[in-house]
Amino acid sequence: MDPLMVRSILAGLIGVFVLAIVIYSIRVFKGPTIPDMVLAVDALSYDLAVLIVVLAILFDTVYLAVAALPLVLWAYILDMYVAKYLEREELGD
Amino acid sequence: MIDGLGIQDLLLIVAFTLAIVFTYKTLVEKDLVRAVVYSAGQAIAYGLAFIVLMAPDLALAYVAVGVGIYSALFLLVISRTERYEKVE
Amino acid sequence: MIWDIIGWIGVALIVLGAIMDLIASIGMHRFRNFYLRLHAATVGMIGGAFYPLIGLGLLSLSLEYLGITRYYIAGISFVSALFVLLTAPVGSHVLARAAHRAGIKPEPINVDRLQEDMEKGVMEE
Repeated sequence: MDPLMVRSILAGLIGVFVLAIVIYSIRVFKGPTIPDMVLAVDALSYDLAVLIVVLAILFDTVYLAVAALPLVLWAYILDMYVAKYLEREELGD
Repeated sequence: MIDGLGIQDLLLIVAFTLAIVFTYKTLVEKDLVRAVVYSAGQAIAYGLAFIVLMAPDLALAYVAVGVGIYSALFLLVISRTERYEKVE
Repeated sequence: MIWDIIGWIGVALIVLGAIMDLIASIGMHRFRNFYLRLHAATVGMIGGAFYPLIGLGLLSLSLEYLGITRYYIAGISFVSALFVLLTAPVGSHVLARAAHRAGIKPEPINVDRLQEDMEKGVMEE
C-alpha cells in the first residue's frame, strides 16, 4: 500500500484517539463513584496500548513496540485490587 | 494542523497537561482511595509522554510501578488505617 | 494482491475501532449511572482496543516498505489483542460485582435478583 496514505490514515487515528483520551479523562475527574474512575482509567490504559502500536508503525521502529504487551496487563491488577478493597470494606461512593 | 506543530507535539501537549491536572487532583484529594486512582491516571499520562519521547523501557517501568505495584501497595496500607484524611 | 486485500481489511477494522472508541467515550461522558457507563466502557474496551489492534497487525503485515519489522509489530499486536480479549471482560465484571456489593445501586430499578439472593442467603461470601 502507499506509504503516504497509510501515514494519513494513522494520523487521523491518532487524532480520534487523543479526543477519546481527553473525554475519558473528564470522566476520571468528574466520576461520582470510585468504580467509574477505575473504569475510565482502564479505558485510558487500553487506548495507550493501541497508540504505542500506531506510533511504532508510524516511526518505523521495532524498539517502540515492546512496551505494548505488558502495559495491557497492569490495568487488570488495578481492577482486581480496587474491587477487593471495595468488597471487603463495604464502602460505597 | 498548525504550521510547524507535528503529531508528536500534539501528543506531548495532551500528555503533559493531563499529567499536571492528575497530579494536582492527587494532591488536593481528601479521600485516599480516589487519590490512588488519580495517581494511576498520572502514571498513564507520563507513559504516553515517555512513548512519544522514544523511551519505551522507561515507560514500561513507570507504568508497571505507577499503575500496578504502587496502587496495590497503597490500597493494602489504606485498608490497615483510615480512608479519609482528617482536616484539623 | 492478497496482501493488498489483507491491508484493506486492516484499514476497515481500524476505522471501525476508531469510531467505536469515540462513541464509547461520548457515552461514558453522557450516561447517568454506573451500570449504564459500564456498558459504554466495555464497548470502548473491546471495540476500541481489540479491533484496532487486530487491524494494525493486519495492516503492518501488508506494508512491504517496513522490511522485517512488520512481522515483529504484527506479532506484538496480535498477542496484546488476545490479552485485551481475555482481561477486559474479567476486569469489568469484577468491578460491577464489587460496586453492587459496596452499595452502589442502579437508580431506576424494577428487579434486582442479586439483592434478593443475597437477602435469602443463596449467595454466600
